Amino acid sequence: MLEWFDSAFAVFVAIYSSILLASYVAMCILAFLEHRKHYTYHDDAYTIEELKKSPYIPGVSIVAPAYNEEKTVITNVKSLLSLDYPDFEVVIVNDGSKDKTLELLIENFDLVKVPYAYVEKIKTKPFKGLYKTRSDNPAFKRLTVVDKVNGGTKADASNAGVNVVSNKFFVCTDVDCVLDKYALYRIIWPTMASTRRVIAVSATMRMSNGSIVEEGKMVDARPPHELIPLFQDLEYTRSFLIGKTALARINALQNVSGGFGMFDRDIVIKAGGYDGDSFAEDMDMIARMVRYMCDTGEDYRIVQIPETCCWTEGPPNLKVLNRQRTRWGRGLFQFFGVHRDMVGNRNYRRYGVLTLMYIMIFELLAPVVELIGYLSILWFILRGAVNYHTIWVAYLGVYTFAQLLTMVIISFDNWVGTSFKRKSDYLWFVLASLLEPILYHPINVFFSIRGYWKHIWGTQMVWGNMTRKGVQSAKPAAPKPAAPVFTQPQEQENKNDA
Amino acid sequence: MEYYTLSRYAYWKYYFLVFYYRLAEYPAPVRAWLVFGSLCLLLLALIVLGNALRVFAHYRFEYLVHHTRERYYERMKMVVTQARTLEPQEISAILELPKNFKMKERQNRSFIPSLTELKQEMGESLSRPNWVRLMQTLKMPAYFESQILSRSVRKKVQGFKDVSDLDANLKEAVASRYLFTKNRKLQMHARLHAARFGTSYPFKVLEDDPNLIFTDEMVVKYHNVLVYRQKNGLAMPNFIRWCNRSPVNEELRIFAVNEIRLFKRKEDCSELLGMLEACRDEAFSCALIRTLGELEYLPAEAEFCRRYVSASFTERQVLAEALGALGSGNSETLSFMVEDFLQTTDYVTRMVLLRVIYRYGDKGKAAYEKLKAEAVPDLMPYFSHIECDLIDSRRYA
Repeated sequence: MLEWFDSAFAVFVAIYSSILLASYVAMCILAFLEHRKHYTYHDDAYTIEELKKSPYIPGVSIVAPAYNEEKTVITNVKSLLSLDYPDFEVVIVNDGSKDKTLELLIENFDLVKVPYAYVEKIKTKPFKGLYKTRSDNPAFKRLTVVDKVNGGTKADASNAGVNVVSNKFFVCTDVDCVLDKYALYRIIWPTMASTRRVIAVSATMRMSNGSIVEEGKMVDARPPHELIPLFQDLEYTRSFLIGKTALARINALQNVSGGFGMFDRDIVIKAGGYDGDSFAEDMDMIARMVRYMCDTGEDYRIVQIPETCCWTEGPPNLKVLNRQRTRWGRGLFQFFGVHRDMVGNRNYRRYGVLTLMYIMIFELLAPVVELIGYLSILWFILRGAVNYHTIWVAYLGVYTFAQLLTMVIISFDNWVGTSFKRKSDYLWFVLASLLEPILYHPINVFFSIRGYWKHIWGTQMVWGNMTRKGVQSAKPAAPKPAAPVFTQPQEQENKNDA
Repeated sequence: MEYYTLSRYAYWKYYFLVFYYRLAEYPAPVRAWLVFGSLCLLLLALIVLGNALRVFAHYRFEYLVHHTRERYYERMKMVVTQARTLEPQEISAILELPKNFKMKERQNRSFIPSLTELKQEMGESLSRPNWVRLMQTLKMPAYFESQILSRSVRKKVQGFKDVSDLDANLKEAVASRYLFTKNRKLQMHARLHAARFGTSYPFKVLEDDPNLIFTDEMVVKYHNVLVYRQKNGLAMPNFIRWCNRSPVNEELRIFAVNEIRLFKRKEDCSELLGMLEACRDEAFSCALIRTLGELEYLPAEAEFCRRYVSASFTERQVLAEALGALGSGNSETLSFMVEDFLQTTDYVTRMVLLRVIYRYGDKGKAAYEKLKAEAVPDLMPYFSHIECDLIDSRRYA
């Protein structure tokens, strides 16, 4: 019986890991083709110049929910207002902040409450008012502040923002994200260059830990010099430049990040907006948009662009990482419960047949398989069933493959236009890659399993306070005591999830 | 003991066999992992090497660009600021170019950032004849030609973009070979190049292409090309012909109508009105209505009113905006707008109508006040919204 189990498990692991490795290779090839296409036809400076001159440039709205952000909100809103784009508006949604977020906005931007005829296209917590500036400053005129009753989630606040945006496309971001000056040109371009209707655009995001930011603007993009954010930076880069790019190539992208992504407003409204109950509201939003497009038989595209457009602060320690990953794990489990009818369903085209199947088998089940793997190894060691002369070969193969993937993303990043000024910064990625399979990956498996466990047993998630370390500034600033910025647990957690 | 010198092939074969028989001693899974690991290592080494070479090439090119700028920028500036047209020898002398001056491809490429910067800095004050001669002295047209004729698609596309950026004087024949290529992006760049610099009628390919896909990207680029042509006194296309001759491509027709509006060609309005009377397509009719409204073509008012009754909400919004733009002060027009405001169920249409009524001269103002006085409480937010100057109510959606 024991031997039978050994053999069956060995065959399962061999098939599972072979398909997984083959899928990585396939994704690398697809991503390579997509990056080559981008490299061949896209010229950032040329595109920006062409768009700047044109009266046909579409307007873009930026929706950024804010909850208890008094320490950073002014700098961050000024940063958003200073983006380079001819026609954009910034919609800040004050989600019932208990601190002076709204008062500071009113004071700094000379805001006044206006009688806006608010229409609730997507159901949210009650709308309290809308503020516009009295100032003659043309930049301030782009600002709209929506005040609403606290909804407890970023999704609810985003929905209130969607209700007031005046442009066809809106970018959903967080107030504390640092955007590239030309991010809007880059993200709008795919909607114009495509022959099919583009309903969402995802852009590459990175960690801002370690970078130098001045007045909310990225001055010097650098990789984080601390292990956990560095691991996450590597993970993000791999996800955006290989996984998402490959899936976008076959029009089967599963997720547009809540940290920075652009959406077609009309489709979002028709799909019912963000789901406030979801722990993976960004993935859920895309699923519902795809569902709407496929159910109505409309053609669509979801695009991923390789340029880094946004930097966000990653979890600085294990405690915050634990909360983030547990939530992601829980969100993924919940997602498949809600959208189970789409999995393998041909009506939802490649998204249903390929992407959701892939995510279910290799993302949802992977932590479980890995945990069984770890336990089995322990079990085999205890039974003396491990051949120590040969087992290292398998580990070396997997380890080398992980290093190969890192070198591939470094090549891609360098190829499509890196945001690093110094090429030597990539050595940090190499360091992270060497340590990641040993340190970071097993921890993430544990956190994901924890998320599944909590979802299955319906454990109420209790969120702690997040102490943001903040990004480096080019100018030396007086040291400030680290204070809990967020007191609303769920909202804070949303912000940490890109 | 005898020694054998192995040939190159035999040498590799020998080590392959040694490796193979060593491997054969192990079970199949170990062999598979060993092969996989070796392949990964080999690829890793190749990618590291490739990256190192790329980084080296990048730094070397950056140095070259910097060096070129340091050495030539001010001298080039001297050339293009001269009021008198300089002879090529004079330009060579200013630039201190050696006799029989020749450049490698990357040297030519290193001039492009400096030339682009110079063109942007000088703007309108740039002496066009001297600019052309400077480019010729630096052999840039020949470089662009070689790029466009090279086998790499990237070089071709980049070549077209650089020519467009730098206003380089290039033979029309170079681009013409790609006007009908199957690669749509390359075809678009070639056509844009022809449209920008063509001296005869370069838009014929657009009009006659039954498979044309006219994306928003092309809308942006063709508009910029048309602005360039108008600025440089080159022949402009007949937009009305585009409207009439392109029944298969709706986007091109809409683009043509929008261009009539942007270039303020009022003389085309009567024909546009004729098209509107026969039009059934919503997107095209909206473009026509918007154009006729913004060009203030008063004879269109009757047709606007006629269409309004059977129009969709989107078209009604455009019609109301157009009627507001015409601003004829006609009482009948005003009365049916007031009537529709009270009847419509669509909140955006209601907002558009109210805004138009509010700005429809004295009569409109009076009608607005009357509506406000009689309005039910549910409608009051619309009135407050319209009256507030801080809200851009044109953008209500």
